[in-house]
Amino acid sequence: MRNSLRVCLVLCAGLFLLAPASVMAQIPKLYTRWVNYTAANGFPRGEVYSVAVNGNQIWAGTEHGLVLIENGRVEKVFTTANGLAGDAVISVAIDKQTGDVWAATFGGLSRYSAGQFKNYTNLTSGLANDLVYSVAVQGQYVWAATAAGISRLNTETGRWKIFSEQNSPFAEPWGYALAVSPKKIYMGLWGGGVLVYDLADHYWRPYTDPDGSMEIVLYRNQGLIDNMVSSIAYDRQARMFWAGSYFGLSGYDGRNWHNYLTKDSGLASNFINGVLAADDIVWVSTQKGLSEFDYKTNTWVTYRPADWRALDMARPDEAHRGEILITLPNGKTRRMETPTSLPHNYILNVAYQGKTIWVATADGLSHGFPQPTKE
Amino acid sequence: MKMRLVNRKAKASTRWTSLWIPVIVSCLTVTGLCWHQTPVAASTWSTRWNPKIRYLDPVALAMSPGGKRLYVVCEGLDRVLVVNTHNRQVVGMVRVGRRPEGIALSPDGKTLYVTNEWSNSVSVIDAGTLHVVRTLKTGWDPVGVTTDRAGKFLYTANTLGDDISVINLSTGQEIKRLAAGHFPEYVDLSANGKWIYVSNLLAKLAPPDDPPECEVTVVSTAKQIVTGRIMVPGVIQLRHIAQAPAQDGGYLLIPFAQPHNLVPLVRLQQGWYMSNGMAVIRPSHASEQKTRISELLLDNIDQAFANGFGAAATPDGKWALITESGANTVSVISIAKLNQVMGKIPASDPEALSHRLDTAQKLVVRRLPTGRDPTAVVVSPDGQFAYIANRTDDTVTVVNLKELKVASTVDLGGPRQITMERRGQQLFFDARFAYQGQLSCSSCHPHEGFEDGLVWSLEMPTLGRDVPENRTLLAIRGTSPFDWNGINPNIQTQDGPRTAALIFRSQGFSNAEVRELVTYIRSLKLPPNPHLAPDGKLTHSQELGKQIFFRTKTDTGKIIPLDERCYYCHSPLSHYTSRVREDVGTSTKYDTIQSWDVPQLQGVWMRAPYLHNGEAMTLEEIWTKFNPDDQHGYTSDMNKNQLNELIQFLKTL
Repeated sequence: MRNSLRVCLVLCAGLFLLAPASVMAQIPKLYTRWVNYTAANGFPRGEVYSVAVNGNQIWAGTEHGLVLIENGRVEKVFTTANGLAGDAVISVAIDKQTGDVWAATFGGLSRYSAGQFKNYTNLTSGLANDLVYSVAVQGQYVWAATAAGISRLNTETGRWKIFSEQNSPFAEPWGYALAVSPKKIYMGLWGGGVLVYDLADHYWRPYTDPDGSMEIVLYRNQGLIDNMVSSIAYDRQARMFWAGSYFGLSGYDGRNWHNYLTKDSGLASNFINGVLAADDIVWVSTQKGLSEFDYKTNTWVTYRPADWRALDMARPDEAHRGEILITLPNGKTRRMETPTSLPHNYILNVAYQGKTIWVATADGLSHGFPQPTKE
Repeated sequence: MKMRLVNRKAKASTRWTSLWIPVIVSCLTVTGLCWHQTPVAASTWSTRWNPKIRYLDPVALAMSPGGKRLYVVCEGLDRVLVVNTHNRQVVGMVRVGRRPEGIALSPDGKTLYVTNEWSNSVSVIDAGTLHVVRTLKTGWDPVGVTTDRAGKFLYTANTLGDDISVINLSTGQEIKRLAAGHFPEYVDLSANGKWIYVSNLLAKLAPPDDPPECEVTVVSTAKQIVTGRIMVPGVIQLRHIAQAPAQDGGYLLIPFAQPHNLVPLVRLQQGWYMSNGMAVIRPSHASEQKTRISELLLDNIDQAFANGFGAAATPDGKWALITESGANTVSVISIAKLNQVMGKIPASDPEALSHRLDTAQKLVVRRLPTGRDPTAVVVSPDGQFAYIANRTDDTVTVVNLKELKVASTVDLGGPRQITMERRGQQLFFDARFAYQGQLSCSSCHPHEGFEDGLVWSLEMPTLGRDVPENRTLLAIRGTSPFDWNGINPNIQTQDGPRTAALIFRSQGFSNAEVRELVTYIRSLKLPPNPHLAPDGKLTHSQELGKQIFFRTKTDTGKIIPLDERCYYCHSPLSHYTSRVREDVGTSTKYDTIQSWDVPQLQGVWMRAPYLHNGEAMTLEEIWTKFNPDDQHGYTSDMNKNQLNELIQFLKTL
């Protein structure tokens, strides 16, 4: 471990020595050490769809259940045998007020509260559909994006409300992603772009791709890149929402669009599974690595296994060297390697835990640590 | 309104009693005008101020830190009385919200917090001036209440919301609601101040043939989140919580009922209806250690002590007291003997004594008589006396804990006149009418007329079949016939010979007593409906649901046959019931009949589980799982939005 850190530091130091000071100031803090949770240390094998952090508890939604990690150890894998609504957990949200964990599964919505699950399904509750793709908590409301619309549960009254093409400006009912701000809910719709609902004034604002279903971008900041929105995030500080699609990344600041494609930015891939935005930093989970975008400095950093192109042929649980690819505002790129790496290049989700990050990948969960600060 | 000393009250009472007939005859109008001016005695004032007699119904108690004052919460009168514990006289009172149920003191004893069940609020009272200084909003139907040790936050158990309100006392705002179990009722702050325990009255909703399981919800006062859910197997009606000995590492003692509802109730030797006892819980807050849960019965072999309710322990850890509201007794338990018994329970089998009827004789050192329907019990700070609130005779029993005998009874000054309704209420809670005193009406209809949420294998002629879900007694006036098979044409039949033969296995009530009981049951009301706006206006979704309820055509314009429309069987003209039996396709192979009495819909929002056999745990399930052929209304054309709207409307009834 100590040797690895040393190698890492040497590599980083080399990079910094080569770069001018003005450029260095623009590079966000790099994550140079990765601790992976895979089948080797008790984590379910296969895809990790989502990850959420609650203090020292890490909740990971996987294709084989909901995983709780505490103090660096896999504490429990919850499945339908333990009362979970479905084994495939697509999204996880924490109610910071109550500490309850909400899990969106392909068998309904589950609420985990102090050791017990309470499930909400299409048959037993007002939930629109049991295919739940995303869940978000907003005060007393819990929002669930399903294959038949967006459901909202008022946890204090037990009342359900469904937003779909039947009562709202949805192109089609399939909800895919959710993000909340104190006053608005941002919905990423499959084929319907982004819908924003103002809770106080009860109005809808749709955002769609101006060229419709054509997979072209006429000019860079034309509007939403594509209507098939896979993920959405809201940056409270920047007051921007970010929408990921399978054709690129779009950000909207209330006046202008800011679109990013691989061809003209440091984005690892246009195929985006997840976005996370906070303090002008956008984390983009793509099929070719995890991209970190500093919106203020227009600097990109991508993390992935160094041998990611040959990863499918690698042995399971084989240790990999990591690759960091930095794309500076002037378009120049720099590459460096780290002794440890994300377990897979196919990234699905990411969450902060203090200064560290947790990354959901197609083959396990990873905990990323930033490069140690110089004394 | 201030209280006057009792001797003055007594004089006023005598004067009034001797004068009122001629006064009314001669100058009715003048007397009416004077009513609001004249000082009034405690023993008569309620009959004069109200067209209908209102009894006090004391249900909750708290003591001032020095033990000089006893605060008595009177749910029947919407007031808190203050009793001077030295002379045992009522010395003050304060009006609070509707149907007050719980009370807590601030740590310095200067402020009282009283939950108002039917106002969804807490009255904050200056204990010195007895003025309500502010009112705090809570969740639905709060009962139990406590502050944290610092007195900064207030926690209320919201019975009908199934949750716990956390209120910041500096701002007066509810900051969050925590999910509890089913019908959380009483709360207690742990001796070390780190935890709040919440007992839940009803079992967790589960398939009807699952044994019941009741929850004690554990809240961390530091994190203000639920950190544990202690499930007590096989019991319902967890009530007040005592900690004994009152120090870290002690037991939680919580009275319960152990229902034997899943076996035909014909075998007296196998426990018959229910057993009464207490859960003994040694909570563990460390994840690696397991909370230890044991159940001890407090019934004797040949005599039950029904409906355990209040619980308290002496400060020296010597005694625990459990009130039995059906037996009109308080059991005094030796903690030393309890420790001996607990020491003999193997760790591998904590439920070893759960069904043994020889435990009480090892623990209970005294059974003391109380007034009628004893509810809460508190112990004075010096451990000298215990005070017990007797709900249906408006008294407080004072127990001398040195001598372990009743010291006196404090008359709280309720109306002297006993109405038929009051007598019926007393009968409702009294288990002495049942064989060996095992149960009363309130045993299966707790919280004054609710259902217990269980199915009961009741009927002799169809042994083990037609196992029905219990039904509410609230607002049943005008909804006859009764029982799921509609066999009882009126409440008199239900509560008279049928109850004597099939439930109490005794001589039962006399004709006069049945009339009194029926009068009381017919008076039971539903709590205010939180799903309905105060002005009665429906929301847009509720209005849409109403249209669906009264629709005559399908979404495609097809006429719905009359008997497949909601309102055909659930007519709003008679409490949303047609008062006949209908086949809605819910009978199973375990049933001997196909059609069932149509239940009224008022209060349906709080009556889960549903259907005659309790199979539907939510309203949604009635139609999503148990209506495949549209026999229970034509619903197959409805989309999810419409079903949600229909349910939102039903919840307003």
